[in-house]
Amino acid sequence: MTITLAIPSKGRLMEKSLAVLKEAGIAVSAGATRSYRTKVEGFDGLEVLLLSASEIARELRDGAIDFGITGEDLIRETIPDADVAAGIVARLGFGHADVVVAVPKAWVDVASMDDLGDVAGSFRARHGRRLRIATKYWRLTQGFFSRTHGIQSYRIVESLGATEGAPAAGSADIIVDITSTGSTLTANRLKVLSDGVILKSEACLAVSEARQREADDARLAAALSARFGA
Amino acid sequence: MGEALDALFAARGAKASQVPIILPAEPYLDTAGEALRRRIFLTRGEGGQNLCLRPDFTVPVCMRHIAEGADLPRRYSYRGLVFRQRAGGPAEFFQAGIEDLGEENRATSDARSLADALASLAACGVDPAGLDVILGDQGLFEAVLRALGLPEGWQRRLIRTFGHDGQLRAALARLAEGPEDALSGIEPQLVDLARDREEGALTRLVRDLMEEAGLPPHSGRSPGEIANRLIEKVQVAEARLGEGALELLQNFLALECPLDEAGDRLAAVTGTAGLDLGRAMTAFMTRNLALEAANVDLAGITYRAAFGRPIDYYTGLVFEVRETGAEEPLAGGGRYDRLMTILGAPAPIPAVGFSLWLDRIEAMARSTGKPA
Repeated sequence: MTITLAIPSKGRLMEKSLAVLKEAGIAVSAGATRSYRTKVEGFDGLEVLLLSASEIARELRDGAIDFGITGEDLIRETIPDADVAAGIVARLGFGHADVVVAVPKAWVDVASMDDLGDVAGSFRARHGRRLRIATKYWRLTQGFFSRTHGIQSYRIVESLGATEGAPAAGSADIIVDITSTGSTLTANRLKVLSDGVILKSEACLAVSEARQREADDARLAAALSARFGA
Repeated sequence: MGEALDALFAARGAKASQVPIILPAEPYLDTAGEALRRRIFLTRGEGGQNLCLRPDFTVPVCMRHIAEGADLPRRYSYRGLVFRQRAGGPAEFFQAGIEDLGEENRATSDARSLADALASLAACGVDPAGLDVILGDQGLFEAVLRALGLPEGWQRRLIRTFGHDGQLRAALARLAEGPEDALSGIEPQLVDLARDREEGALTRLVRDLMEEAGLPPHSGRSPGEIANRLIEKVQVAEARLGEGALELLQNFLALECPLDEAGDRLAAVTGTAGLDLGRAMTAFMTRNLALEAANVDLAGITYRAAFGRPIDYYTGLVFEVRETGAEEPLAGGGRYDRLMTILGAPAPIPAVGFSLWLDRIEAMARSTGKPA
């Protein structure tokens, strides 16, 4: 008779997560040491784990935890058909960031996704290869380019860090990345396309629909959701 | 059923080709695009190369032909398992088909491809009375755009969406907007330079921006390319599409009729505006004659002007065959004259082909016809 909630294990995301739990009457004391266990008061039968934000999205997908607090960007990137496989219980009002399509400022002719579609469409004829997009958001990028905008001719270059540096490094032409203030993009002489916001993300409390729950646990899960107004 | 097809393919002069099941994934991702990535079974070789389970036969059959440098024209047949991730239905299923490479007489090879697809269905025991055959032609669409005198930038943008009704409609709606919308987000000073066709000044300006950003000068888009596209874009934005042109384009796209009436209907839509579709129209009518010569009943085929595939290597004919009322096709094919050079052929090679979904065909033959 326990349900599990995973929250980010470090930094501001962890502090803010602890704060919203506290507002909901759940006091979680995380050990100051590098322990991933916590002590929970104010909600019997709730176990709170500390995990990395991306791991939380994977565990939600796999049904290895009942609830998780993580970024919507990671939820939508990690979980196929995220609307079905993971319910967003509440948007928590912190961790705001946008997943955006950004191109070099020097591309003065490209202001919209339509422009980018034109450029991508003739890229091979001009350069002997497809337009390259550096990103760690494979799923979001494909959905936005292929399904929303009908752009098929591009290649994704996997980027595991410093995506914004890919155009200058010559490893990609443009990027899809997360940005909160836009200052990193500006510093790298990149601009966001007018209709290039793929997702306005923030930290969310999400429930795993893949998780099998006994009746007792299902009641606990409903009670936790209710604390967050859902 | 398999043996009947093998015999038919051999009788139609197609040589059976053998294709491995595990293939390099790059050619697929490069031709069909990233959208395919979610649908194929990818794995990584020990050396880091992307490999996949054969998602179709066309790409490997064409690549092998290029590698062997065999004489043209030539027809290849195939039959075997393909693997794709699908939300519903099994992830592995049988396909068969013919790829027709290097036949310069496109009317003949187009007609042969469709006739062979229909003959294959008959050989599998499918009752032709229960079939819907739909045919489209990207060549005609491109000819209408040209004849309307649309700026090339617009033509390319519309051609990109051809075959995807929603996106084509959206693109048409945006093209009807005023220049203010099309040019928003671009600095007025740059728009002025572009309007005056100051290519040199724009190029220098872009080069400075690229240097400032530390962009590699010899990879990707060059300053001249960017300057020229801005000039073209301003030109395109300020050349409005006339009411009449938009209406005519919409009337053309709405055409749907039996193939034997298509010539007259096309003439009625375009002729009143004095448009001449030129060689594209001749090619369309010549293909119809070739289809009749191959004993295909034109009245039993539906021509739909807006039917196409939004993949950039398809260039002309496309067709699909369905059980009447069904969602999924039993057979599909088309002309892909741009694929061979994308896959590495040193010169363009005309190519047309079709593939059959054998599992669906077998299910239909079993329920309605007499399985061969």
